[in-house]
Amino acid sequence: MTTAALFIILFLCLASGLPIAIGLGFSSIMTILLFSHDSLASIALKYFATLSDHYTLLAIPFFILSSAFLSTGGVANRLIRFAIDCVGHIKGGLAMASVLACMLFAAVSGSSPATVAAIGSIVIAGMVKAGYSQSFATGVICNAGTLGILIPPSIVMLVYAAATQVSAARMFMAGCIPGALLGGGLMIAIYIVARVKNLPAQSWPGFMAIFRSGLTALGGLMLIFIVLGSIYGGVASPTEAAALSAVYAFFISVLCYRDMGPIKGQPWRLKGEGLALAGVRNLKIMTIGAFKSVSDPEVRKVVLEATKVSVMLLFIISNAMIFAHVLTTERIPHHIAEIIVGWGLPSWGFLIVVNILLLIAGNFMEPSAILLIMAPILFPISQKLGIDPIHLGIIMVVNMEIGMITPPVGLNLFVAAGITGNSLTWVLRAAFPWLMLMLAFLALITYIPSISTFLPEFIDHLKGYN
Amino acid sequence: MNQFEEGVISLLLVVMTLLVFVEVILRFGFNTGLMWAQELTLHISAWMVLLGASYGLKVGSHIGVDALVRTFSPNTRRFVTALAVICGLVYCGLFLYGSWVYTEKMWMTGIELEDMPLPRWLAQGGMLLLGFSLITWRLLGLLKKLITGQAEGFGLTDEVKESLELAKEAMRLSDEDDAKGGKSA
Repeated sequence: MTTAALFIILFLCLASGLPIAIGLGFSSIMTILLFSHDSLASIALKYFATLSDHYTLLAIPFFILSSAFLSTGGVANRLIRFAIDCVGHIKGGLAMASVLACMLFAAVSGSSPATVAAIGSIVIAGMVKAGYSQSFATGVICNAGTLGILIPPSIVMLVYAAATQVSAARMFMAGCIPGALLGGGLMIAIYIVARVKNLPAQSWPGFMAIFRSGLTALGGLMLIFIVLGSIYGGVASPTEAAALSAVYAFFISVLCYRDMGPIKGQPWRLKGEGLALAGVRNLKIMTIGAFKSVSDPEVRKVVLEATKVSVMLLFIISNAMIFAHVLTTERIPHHIAEIIVGWGLPSWGFLIVVNILLLIAGNFMEPSAILLIMAPILFPISQKLGIDPIHLGIIMVVNMEIGMITPPVGLNLFVAAGITGNSLTWVLRAAFPWLMLMLAFLALITYIPSISTFLPEFIDHLKGYN
Repeated sequence: MNQFEEGVISLLLVVMTLLVFVEVILRFGFNTGLMWAQELTLHISAWMVLLGASYGLKVGSHIGVDALVRTFSPNTRRFVTALAVICGLVYCGLFLYGSWVYTEKMWMTGIELEDMPLPRWLAQGGMLLLGFSLITWRLLGLLKKLITGQAEGFGLTDEVKESLELAKEAMRLSDEDDAKGGKSA
């Protein structure tokens, strides 16, 4: 009865277009009012506590801020140039380079639609110019763009960690191998297609060119090393690493790359300027630039955008915590788990059900929202069935990736339709063969848990925990 | 008003980030720390969300599922949205009541935060009251717009549109690069 009330109210709220956060809060508080004895004051306190007691949650706004600074066209261009220099000379190299660029950009930006937009807008046109068909190029980008939430640091993983109390550091580590595997798998598939269709290769740029483009791309890429390095080196918690990366992202984008902000477009070295003189001049303009950023409209806009997204996500999370509280006090996951165990459903059967459920949900809602609603329900059940929490997390993330390229709410499809100027059906058809690859990958991830759990366990082993 | 709200919530995010950053630097550079930093950071994040949620309603930065309501006729859509707004108002009302009781209790006992000499009724209860009052205010405004026909829905965020702006910028920069490359070659 309670379960039915909670889910029916929630479903109606969501269907009516009410912001998800308010829908979660409303359905939970109505259920509490109708069926439980909690006082409203204790719920208000609980609500504030979800925001003020979880230090790990703070990683979310910090990562959003850092990705806001680095999700720019300038960074995308640098990464693409580097990727093309690296693998462009292989057959089908331009397409492979696009996948590589997507993986790199995904790692610094953590958002899938942004990856498709920033990388896709440049490389799809480039591939068509080099003789690829437009549908091939679009299909590749739609799928490679989904890597944004699988390759760490990923905001969706932080949300999962927040919803289930799993360590965010372990989730990040767990995403590494699947991310590399999917990216590598896409590249191999491209290579095979390129062999069959005899797709063109770029000329070999030489090691110097790779070194040079690598150096300019490094500014952005260092972020990954800073985050993962400081977390696994034991220097900082994920939250602190996120704050470091936010400050670093500001430093790189505003003071080094100078794509935006008060010293936009100022060259590192003027013509005929000596090295020492250039150093002094740069130090001066960078110091002034750092202070001027406070009032700079472009910098302020980036911060405001990041604030809006952070507030939106944290507002959902705080309400989802109330929702999770209702689930726990009413023992709803426990009851569902008992029913499932009663059916004698084995854990692999349960995972099939999880996958289908998530794939359907992924067609209608945003990844973070789905995780916040589903994780508190699925997590206790899967624990009862002996499924590793990290493994479940990666399964959920991969499902969310697929949700990005299936209609009607597949964000990547809409973005790809927007940048190529084609209809949604056309994009869907272009992405379809690659979608099959993703589904195969999902099966692989679901039934070989060690792909996800190997690295975190290996790190534990290195640190001597077991 | 817009600029004031934007300024306040952006500032809260920046202060939060810098506080954690400075704490890490202090710990590793100088082997010391700020006892109150963690509690302050967490409270700032809560304040940011409470103050920012209503701003998000105004500028349409919340996410929701509008796939269904989009298929309705404008009038039906307005009606459904109005019902949803009333649900939102009930939600705010219940939270306001709960926060009021909590604030009253904290006011009477006069307990302070753990690490900072700030009274709880102000830092927690008061902010809850303020935040939910602001959300109520925005929802009432939206309801009025729905009744007079100035609005049809919640105006949820459109990530696709934002991404396409990023795409335009990336393309412009790439074209500039090509132009430069063309000249040197």
